[in-house]
Amino acid sequence: MAEIDIHAPGVEMVKSLCYFCHANCGVLAYVKDGDVIKIEGDPNYSTQGGLCCRGNSALLHVNHPARVNHVLKRAGEKGEGKWEKMDYDTAIQEVADRLNQIKEESGAEAVASAGGTTRTDDWARRRFLNQFGTPNGFHNALLCWIPTFMAETCVSGWSPFETDLGAARCLILWGMNPGASTLPGMHGYTDLQMGGMKIIVVDPRYSETACKADLWLPLRPGSDAALALAMLHTILYGGMADYDYIDKWCSGYDELMAHVAEYTPEWASEITWLEPDLIRQAATMYATNRPGCIQWGCTWDQIGRASTTGSHAIALLRAVTGNIEVPGGDGMPGPALNFLTDEELELNECLPEEQKPKQISRFKLTSWPGYQLISDNARRQWGKTLPTEWFCEAHGPSVFKAIITGDPYQIRALICNATNPVNSYGDAKMVLEAIKKVEFLVVVDYWITPTALFADYVFPAAGALERPTIVTHYGATDSLMAGARAIQPKYDRHDDYQFWKKLGLACGQDPANWPWETVEDAYFHVIEGLGLPIEKYEDFVNHVRMYFPPLHQSKFIDHGGFWTPSKKIELDSSIMRELGFPGMPTYIGTIENPIDTPELLDEYPLVLTTGGGFMPFHHSEHFNMPNLRYIYPTPFFSIHPDTAAPLHIEYGDWCWIETRRGRIKMRANVEPEIAPGTIFCPRGWWFPERDGSADLNNPFGCLESNVNTLTSVDAEDCDPMGGSWANRGLLCKVYPCTELDHEFTAKDAEWSIPGNAKTPGVSVMPSDQPLAREPIPFEKPACDREVPEGYYWVWQDGLVYNKDSHFRLDESGWLVDPKSNAYIDAYTGWRYDANNDCLVDDATGDKYTMDREPLTYVAGVRTYPGKDAPYEVPSNLTWDKELGYARLNDLMYIYDPNSGWMIDPETNVYHDANYGYAYDPNEQNLIDMKTGKRYSMSYEEITDAQGATAEPSAEAQVEAAEAAAAEEEAE
Amino acid sequence: MTRYCMVIDQRRCIGCHSCTVACRTWNELPNDIIYNAVMSEGVEGSWPNVHRNWLPTLCMHCEKPACVPCCPTGASQQDDDGVVWIEYNKCMACLACVNACPYGMRDKSNLRPRLHRFVQKCTFCRDHRAMEPDKEPYCVATCHQKARIFGDLDDPESEVSKLVGSVETVRLLEDLGTGPQIYYIPNLGGTR
Repeated sequence: MAEIDIHAPGVEMVKSLCYFCHANCGVLAYVKDGDVIKIEGDPNYSTQGGLCCRGNSALLHVNHPARVNHVLKRAGEKGEGKWEKMDYDTAIQEVADRLNQIKEESGAEAVASAGGTTRTDDWARRRFLNQFGTPNGFHNALLCWIPTFMAETCVSGWSPFETDLGAARCLILWGMNPGASTLPGMHGYTDLQMGGMKIIVVDPRYSETACKADLWLPLRPGSDAALALAMLHTILYGGMADYDYIDKWCSGYDELMAHVAEYTPEWASEITWLEPDLIRQAATMYATNRPGCIQWGCTWDQIGRASTTGSHAIALLRAVTGNIEVPGGDGMPGPALNFLTDEELELNECLPEEQKPKQISRFKLTSWPGYQLISDNARRQWGKTLPTEWFCEAHGPSVFKAIITGDPYQIRALICNATNPVNSYGDAKMVLEAIKKVEFLVVVDYWITPTALFADYVFPAAGALERPTIVTHYGATDSLMAGARAIQPKYDRHDDYQFWKKLGLACGQDPANWPWETVEDAYFHVIEGLGLPIEKYEDFVNHVRMYFPPLHQSKFIDHGGFWTPSKKIELDSSIMRELGFPGMPTYIGTIENPIDTPELLDEYPLVLTTGGGFMPFHHSEHFNMPNLRYIYPTPFFSIHPDTAAPLHIEYGDWCWIETRRGRIKMRANVEPEIAPGTIFCPRGWWFPERDGSADLNNPFGCLESNVNTLTSVDAEDCDPMGGSWANRGLLCKVYPCTELDHEFTAKDAEWSIPGNAKTPGVSVMPSDQPLAREPIPFEKPACDREVPEGYYWVWQDGLVYNKDSHFRLDESGWLVDPKSNAYIDAYTGWRYDANNDCLVDDATGDKYTMDREPLTYVAGVRTYPGKDAPYEVPSNLTWDKELGYARLNDLMYIYDPNSGWMIDPETNVYHDANYGYAYDPNEQNLIDMKTGKRYSMSYEEITDAQGATAEPSAEAQVEAAEAAAAEEEAE
Repeated sequence: MTRYCMVIDQRRCIGCHSCTVACRTWNELPNDIIYNAVMSEGVEGSWPNVHRNWLPTLCMHCEKPACVPCCPTGASQQDDDGVVWIEYNKCMACLACVNACPYGMRDKSNLRPRLHRFVQKCTFCRDHRAMEPDKEPYCVATCHQKARIFGDLDDPESEVSKLVGSVETVRLLEDLGTGPQIYYIPNLGGTR
């Protein structure tokens, strides 16, 4: 229990960032002899020194005895848990050879890659996948923000996710529980609430956040879309919209009015279980306490087929109340214009065009078809775009189904980086089957997870203290926060950049495409554009740490509108319609509910909500850390006492929770935390303390208490736009475990496609399953003009854009760069420089005449060889047409019409234009170089007696003048 | 004089247990010892009119600690600044202090063999603060919600004395007369 002395000699402090969740709290790491001896929360960081349970356990994580520290190659059967330690580079080469072989035999698309949350250098992964040629990278992105982001981008041109809470009067925390998931955020909310801001919490559970709310809406799980539509109705029909804002900046108001007419609070009441007056109260509180913010919550993207409808409706709530991109409202950062975005690091141009349609996803909003439309528009409006990582991905569950069924084609290899899909993707039983079945499985992780157990190779990953961290919110914002690596990766652990770089090079990718030695080098490249006086990435961390552009709300006023194709907030989205979706949110129910599926109620009378985060775990992590697990040693679900009593369930009883797809067991937390008739199950559970290989039907108990055994990924249960699968608002039943029925058996682990425990195996091919909503046919208006080759026409604004640069073709025949509003020459791509009336190639800095001929400069003065003088030449000078500048007699000096002086091109020394005397900036007088005589600025000779100092030699004078001129030039 | 105390703002506490884990981690406590548990009665009331509170606890560092005079070896003692602590090499684990403490804030761990035991409890991070006088106890520094506030009650400029002087606070089992130095700002519903 000896106190660690952080002031001892040899102890160095490193500013790092925690990465056990997305809050990225500031960490000060104290390092001695290459090892971290202590950490503490950084009191000078935005998180004010706070660290949660996980953050405090960082050293136990770095040195955990169960960490994978070397490459492990499978030595026995899959899942047997027999490993052979391997040299890192040899293993990389073996994996690369196998991947290349699969590519040759089945095409690059047969290799897929799963990711976890954004706690890895994902741009490096996409850099690898693009060069390799596969479009099948994916994450759990569809459950986390991305469908919402895309819907919001369709509405207003970017996601308005940066809440300006300092000036806000009202905040809706909707489907979000920062009290257990984003503690630094919760701190800010609490402070502002104490200062008078109203907080509305929408959550079926009386969560850590709900219990602090000013108004709490305990809605039926999954009914968020109905609530949002009813609030929209209340605001529009109650006359509480911001009509000035709508008039100036929105389109489609009349259509929206008509569209939401039927979505009354009374209609929503039946679906949401909320009193109509409570819905009205919430809508009124939000609409009349302007400006206000709606914070995005993960729930929006986890409701299955009703997901994006809900977030689309919420996007419109912000719009009609005039809360988008105004002070105190929800700000849209847009892409980073002055440092590199993740997209610029991904090498998307390397992915062959013919590979894009092969991406396994039927959900257009979040895969190539939707991404292409949204991304092209973003390039036209902002000049930059979203990363393809996260925002343009394969549909994870469909990839797992493709592994099992070979539909639409066989996926043969899977690289899992920082993810444990068995626990984190929907329909866990099916995912486990896919993990077992995939021909070649590579896992990069900290631990032997249930997924890693079946791997052919497990690569050890470096943790947050072992790699630098840049936070740019999935590459979708214009600010960044940075932390340094405290120590080099221990053992044979590698950061993600090194893994993908090594794998890429071993696959034969061009070394020029992997130019950076370290992640720090890559990150320095990212921030170089900020123009800060720094020489390496660590300088930025030590002296700057965070970069935020100046606060810039109301950018749309300067931009001349929003960043949509029509420059308006599109209440009836044109991109959505072009993709075959309704342009306005059209109600669709959760996958199982009393209105659409009343036949299920007899067997499954209770509503189940899953997927919520809870302290001290994050996703499926940290169950193997005793320092945290002691807080929450066994899985608990919440059930209301009134529901539990007739089922004979008491606090702590182990119970089965069953849906159509399977059953799991958890212990009952009987308290009025959740409405009667509703069950809340936390996510992620597995039991690392068990022997994984002992029961391969349920390795590490990864199915028996895992809520994803209950969730659905059937195509018709997924959101038809974004592809989110169904975690919330499911129907279930609950019954206590009995002496005869308390083991999770092989029967319980039987999987099925589509998910239905009654008929195991594949009964429908995934491609044959209908979607929740068929596409609505859309016909683009015919183009009414001739479009030159290399250009395309945008039907929404009727303008023509360049295919490569996405710059607008102006009526003048010039292209217009949206970033700078500069005019660009359509033939060469050179920028027009109005000051010098010339063209500039920004890539090289070379200048050209308006006739696209190279401009010549001598000693910094523009010359006009072969031309007549373009300016009035002083009478004592002569114009040399051949050289293109004015001269004094036969002197070689060049006349500079801007300053009126002659410049010696060899020395850059200034000479006067009457006699050619050199100017001495030290003495501020003139010297005749021939005679060495000095003259005042009015050509009066200066004698020795008058000179303050002894006459220096002519050579010394020239030297002094040269030095001064050089100095001047440097400035 | 210095008189250390802690104000705990129940209006801000969200029951994340960070304080408990920070304390355990940096004081290197074994798995069965907790100095500063966060207690909760869970959600109470009748749906949807429910409420919930968390009660972060720790040694009350009483003005007149019951655990000091009962110690037969003088191991259990109090500094002039009010911090109650145990000199481990004098402790013979007779548990008299454990029985005397009305708050149950001294460990009752039975894991270690008797002869190798000594009683442990919160010391307001006495050793940590001795080494780094500017720092606060671990449970205070780590709290995102700033629900735990530590300071000198005798210093009129300190945040704790300002809070105790301006906001209504309660102390646990005050009528026992031990003068506990942990002041709770109760959450009476809402946050205002």
